[in-house]
Amino acid sequence: MMYYFFLVISIALVITALLSIYFRDLLAAIVSYSVFSLVLTVLYFLLDAPDVAIAEAGIGAALTTCIFVIAIRMTRRREE
Amino acid sequence: MRLLSVVAIVIIFGFLFVGILHLHPVGEAVGNPDVLQQRPEYGIDINGVTTMDDYFLRNGQVETKSNNIVASVVFDYRGFDTLGEATVLFIVVSSVSMLFFTFLKSKSIISAGVPPAGQFPKIESRVITFGAFIMYIMILSFGVYLVVHGHVSPGGGFQGGSVMASATALLLISFLITRHMQQTRKIFSFFESLGLTIFIGFGFAGIGISFLFNFLAHTSTAFGRIIPFGPNQGYLISAGILPWLSLAVGIEVFFGLSLIIVTLFHASGVKDTNSLR
Repeated sequence: MMYYFFLVISIALVITALLSIYFRDLLAAIVSYSVFSLVLTVLYFLLDAPDVAIAEAGIGAALTTCIFVIAIRMTRRREE
Repeated sequence: MRLLSVVAIVIIFGFLFVGILHLHPVGEAVGNPDVLQQRPEYGIDINGVTTMDDYFLRNGQVETKSNNIVASVVFDYRGFDTLGEATVLFIVVSSVSMLFFTFLKSKSIISAGVPPAGQFPKIESRVITFGAFIMYIMILSFGVYLVVHGHVSPGGGFQGGSVMASATALLLISFLITRHMQQTRKIFSFFESLGLTIFIGFGFAGIGISFLFNFLAHTSTAFGRIIPFGPNQGYLISAGILPWLSLAVGIEVFFGLSLIIVTLFHASGVKDTNSLR
């Protein structure tokens, strides 16, 4: 049971990481990176590292997203 | 060149896998005597331990009077490394502030002030601002809880500080703070320096024996009380200088990360980006 759970989480990690590379829209890429951090938080929690999970949720999911969103405010959308 | 990078990656991953093979199995507490009987290769007694983490697990509660072994390693056994980490964060915040210093100090920016309300996208919805305010209070109290209970339960200065800083990010994203940015940055930078100074001050307070010595754990005050071995609920006032160091790191991380976000937000709201180049 636990084995399949880890398998699902690992596959979700790879998928969200690839999505954050392949998205053309910057905001969508950042959101998928944030989802990647959240899934990684669950993985850390299951591996008995709750303090690393809290740090990952605080910095990876929240702060990095916020900084990227602030940076994207300065860019312009250029569609071709 | 490509071959060289592939070889480097293979070597690095080889080292990582060799390191992983030597880790303890997940969820196996070495301090548990039943486990010791089943796995005699993981240390025999307190003096005969074979690896470093066995030593921490068996002697951490006795030596640092802290229930959280991770906190006792981070703030006591490896306190100097934590000072280095806090200094790295301080340097990062300083360099971000330095990068935007002339940009935010220049005459045109001051006359423009903090970006006026019309420059932001109009999302001044009451739902967003009120919800953000409620969530701000809850996230902030969770962060304070993590910082204060750093030596009892999982958490500590870095984790609690980053959680509190994400609360600040929530305030900025929901545009609850749009004025008085310059003063906010001054206050934040003062408190960030204060946190690091408190940490170094506690390091120098134990200088009679060594730098960052846990001197309070060996006094007869409430901070030096003896806690029982093994899993127990612990006391809030215990563990010597560990809660104070956790508090100092929490203050430093909270105000440092908030300062980074506020500076970036302040700079991103200014229309004339030519002076950034």
